[in-house]
Amino acid sequence: MSTEALQLVRPTGSRYETFALLLITALLISAQMWYVSTLGRQTSEEEIYAWQVSSFSSFEGADQAIYNSLFTVKDEIPYIYDDVNMFNEPGEKFHWPNLQDFQDYLLPPFYHDISWEQNGSVGWLLYEPVAEGEMQGYSMYLGTNGMLENQGSFLLTIGHVHAGFSNNNSLDIWWHPQRSIDMPESGFKDTLVRQGWQLVVPYSGDKEVKRIFGE
Amino acid sequence: MRGITRVRITRVIRFSALAMTLLSGLLTQTAHAETLKIGITLHPYYSFVSNIVGDRAEVIPLISAESNPHGYVPRANDMKRILDMDVLVVNGIGHDSWAFEILEAAGAKDELPLIYANDGVSLIPIAGDPSGAKVVNPHTFISTVAAIQQIYGIARQLADLDPENADFYRNNSRTYALELRKLRSEFDSMITGVNLSNFRCATMHSGYDYIMQELGLNVSAVIEPRHGVEPTARQMADTIDRINASNVNVLFAEKYFASALSNTIREATGVQMYSISHISSGPYTDEKFVDEMLENLTTLATAIRDVANLYATTQ
Repeated sequence: MSTEALQLVRPTGSRYETFALLLITALLISAQMWYVSTLGRQTSEEEIYAWQVSSFSSFEGADQAIYNSLFTVKDEIPYIYDDVNMFNEPGEKFHWPNLQDFQDYLLPPFYHDISWEQNGSVGWLLYEPVAEGEMQGYSMYLGTNGMLENQGSFLLTIGHVHAGFSNNNSLDIWWHPQRSIDMPESGFKDTLVRQGWQLVVPYSGDKEVKRIFGE
Repeated sequence: MRGITRVRITRVIRFSALAMTLLSGLLTQTAHAETLKIGITLHPYYSFVSNIVGDRAEVIPLISAESNPHGYVPRANDMKRILDMDVLVVNGIGHDSWAFEILEAAGAKDELPLIYANDGVSLIPIAGDPSGAKVVNPHTFISTVAAIQQIYGIARQLADLDPENADFYRNNSRTYALELRKLRSEFDSMITGVNLSNFRCATMHSGYDYIMQELGLNVSAVIEPRHGVEPTARQMADTIDRINASNVNVLFAEKYFASALSNTIREATGVQMYSISHISSGPYTDEKFVDEMLENLTTLATAIRDVANLYATTQ
């Protein structure tokens, strides 16, 4: 048997090949990291203004639950309004549902059940527009004095087109970081923002559909 | 003369009867032709839509009742079925991505109107994500609040397609929404007076976040990092640490899709295990959603009572 059979042969460009391989690997990893950190994000919330707050990214737990219930109330309240005014006498003033009406409809977040307790036992107040004065044009439901730590206050404002204070019968949900707060002076956006209220913006399904499928 | 008149009257009657029969057949056919055929992708949407439209429209499941919507692979029959629909109700943000493959394959992508059930739903992130990332939770149908948001949204969009029945759809959606809220009252009556302060839970996946949150029950940990994705050994060890550190005493696993992982967690932490329905299997029925949600709420109430009793006897 020959002892000269084993000979190690190195390619002339081995050093460059190793360097090129490392470089390509580094480039691929960087490209992947860039993709994951930018294009590969799973959520893409729209940008919001300083006077707004996102229910999706800024809230959690009880405040998120209360907001989502109020978000459903936006659909329900016009129907209940019709119900409670159905048998009004001629000339009788139409009124927005009071807090007892909400108990009858089992409507969260107003309805007093164990879930209401678990979510901080928030106290609700209704302010209806008066015949004259600054409050005219806005009905407001204030939720405040929650029992949980770091809990905020909520305000549901309902603008009335007939009073000329709003462009439409808009229902907006506002949030204030203070757990205990008084009924605001008015439902005007500027007033509320000045007092530290923030308009809550949901991340709704239509936005997510646009993110997934494009415009 | 009298005989001729009798013959004429008989002919008129026969002709009228024939005309009535033809007209009645035509009217039935027209009414049938105008009946909306509404496709749905997931079990809860069958119940939602059936309760909204009653007998004034036809509800057609896109896939068979036995199929598992998780990771479903489209079949030839699905394409045939989708072409027979006037509109399709989809979740659109998860769980039924196969519906879009079927639409594409059937060439109906730009033809068939779609109702995205979650269009007007305020979404929440999945709970207990160890990385803290805010990832959209698509399980909006395992809830009452988000379910009601969807029911109103679907009813509104169906009313646009079928204006003649708009009031009927709206009234039905209100009645159904009240029925769902009554479920929460039933849950309430099951745990009245029970001490909830020691209740700490973990869930196998993020499917129950919406219902847990609306009931004010905090989820301390979620085992699967993403729905259907098993955790790595490292993630599993971290989760077990988190469960022990948070004094979690209950683990909710999936009723329909058993996982060996849940047993591992139970053995490692000593938590009590309960099963919750994902409402994604079995026959399509009008009552399915209410029935299975009531079952889920009963399971939650049992778990809460068991924890309360456990602490009452150990103190």
